[in-house]
Amino acid sequence: MISKIAWRNILRNKRRSLILITSIVIGVVAAVLTDMFSTGMMEQMLTNQISADAGYIQIHKKGYQADPILENSMTDPQTVDNLLIAEKDSLDFSKRLRTFGLVSSAYNSSGVSIVGIIPDQEKKITTIWKHVATGTYLTSQENQVLISSAIAEKLHAGLGDKVVIMASRLDGSIGSEACRVVGIYETFDSGFDQTHIYIPLQIVEQMLSAQNKVSEFVIAPKNQKDVSGIVARLRLELDHSYEVMSYEDMLPLFVAQIKIYDSTMFILYLIIGIALLFGIINTMLMAVMERTHEFGVDMAVGMPNRKIFRMILVEAFFIGVIGTAIGMGISYVSYLEFASTGWNLAAFSESLKSFGAGTTIYPVFVMSSILLKVLIIPLATVAGAVYPAVRAVRLHPVEAIRAT
Amino acid sequence: MNVNDMNSEIVRVENVGKVYDDNGIPVNALHGINLTVAKRDFSVIAGPSGSGKTTLLNIVGTLDTPTSGNVFLDGENIADKKRRELADIRLKKIGFVFQAYNLNPVLSALENIEFTMMLRGIPSDERKRRGLALMEQLGIGELVNKRPNEMSGGQQQRVAVARAISNDPRLVLADEPTANLDSATAAKLLDLMEKLNHENGITFVFSSHDPQVIERAHRLLILKDGQIISDKKN
Repeated sequence: MISKIAWRNILRNKRRSLILITSIVIGVVAAVLTDMFSTGMMEQMLTNQISADAGYIQIHKKGYQADPILENSMTDPQTVDNLLIAEKDSLDFSKRLRTFGLVSSAYNSSGVSIVGIIPDQEKKITTIWKHVATGTYLTSQENQVLISSAIAEKLHAGLGDKVVIMASRLDGSIGSEACRVVGIYETFDSGFDQTHIYIPLQIVEQMLSAQNKVSEFVIAPKNQKDVSGIVARLRLELDHSYEVMSYEDMLPLFVAQIKIYDSTMFILYLIIGIALLFGIINTMLMAVMERTHEFGVDMAVGMPNRKIFRMILVEAFFIGVIGTAIGMGISYVSYLEFASTGWNLAAFSESLKSFGAGTTIYPVFVMSSILLKVLIIPLATVAGAVYPAVRAVRLHPVEAIRAT
Repeated sequence: MNVNDMNSEIVRVENVGKVYDDNGIPVNALHGINLTVAKRDFSVIAGPSGSGKTTLLNIVGTLDTPTSGNVFLDGENIADKKRRELADIRLKKIGFVFQAYNLNPVLSALENIEFTMMLRGIPSDERKRRGLALMEQLGIGELVNKRPNEMSGGQQQRVAVARAISNDPRLVLADEPTANLDSATAAKLLDLMEKLNHENGITFVFSSHDPQVIERAHRLLILKDGQIISDKKN
């Protein structure tokens, strides 16, 4: 009967209940969608980094990650090559030779990271070929270069133009190659775009007189869940002169950034939660004070304080559950809508690029986060009703009955 | 009926005083009240407004505590009881009828009657059976599903009486129960209460200055300025 009274009290003042439920719905939708989109953005940023360049796993000569210079390249890549060929059922791989150098046109020069790749194999590992905006991806082992739109703009270079690429060789001399621009790419990360050019591995080897040298093996597991297993296996197989790194090892700043972002989101949720809590306290307090006379009568007929207390909390719980259910429903419908089309934030494309995120953010449904909110929000609503309930049970019966 | 017979008394008030604080000024609402109420009594406390009738009724009903003196209910001193214990005493031993009926507006007539039984933990089926029987006895059987706002004042007060006696209390305290009723409806309500007093042996104590109530009372106590100035049998 306590539940029945609590429910009817909710229906009794529909406008007030509606305001309270609406505020909970807004809070739930704001929290859930913020969570879905921020998780989506974080995952996209990480995926973009992995798919554009880093790959899920890399193998280097020990020390290369800390000091990625030509001198730290592998001199005997055949061991790793053979090992990875043996693992070909569970992964794809490619190898790269990279160094820092200068790309120049007749108009300007730019310091860049020169990445020598095997075009066909690289296609299986990274998505740089998908980001070619004009022209084509590298098609052969000839003197071709793929540059970003940012570099093209800086060099005033276009498709078909020749640029000169220069870098220090191992012996200290300068090697250079003239390459024709066959494609211009544009990824989600403006910082990355300003610093990376791609040319065939063979051309880099030739330019640097560094035949049979490899800076990194880049690996994509056929099943992404196998990353840690493959890393563990490779570490067992390779001796200590190599370093096997997962994307988490290679992108510590990103991992830290995601953690920092999670903390930031926690603070945001806390602010939303506190605002919601005070709204609930305020409204429930009004609801309780309006019924002072009724509580006085309840006390007079012998209703114990604990039941009055429980009745108010049950009311709040019902409101919390209704608000959460509606909020979750709206959030889920929004999720379904955005999951296919994404949220187009083209208006903020420049700032998103500086974050390494795409202009279209796709929400991610994280069940554990949703369940946590389903549990916490009705409980928070109940918590918001505790103070009003305490006020109610502290009423003096005679004074409460006199209240109008 | 011998009001001085300790074995048959339901209420004993010993030298009770009540002082209110009115913005720092002490106001003596009651002083030196001595009173016993016998079981099955049908008493009225009368007096002008501000004489202390409601205060005395509230103290006897454990809704308020005296500043001095003792109150015994069914032989038990209630002066030192905690709020939780007082609520339990009210639930089990006392029924209240208020001037403004004070039914729960979100409950139907039957649910209002069931409410106090629910608080005692009586099972739902038993509550319903007893509630319906009471409504029949009090002539309000047709109001089962009506909410208070769908009932007349007289009907609401009958439901309030049914609620007050639903837990078989030892004592019913009625504070100006006829004040909001027309004389015909008031008469019917008093008939009903007299019947419950005769047939069910329920003790009634009224606070009222309604001549109809005073006329029917077995005992009339007159209160003035917080003191009993007259106590006589009718």
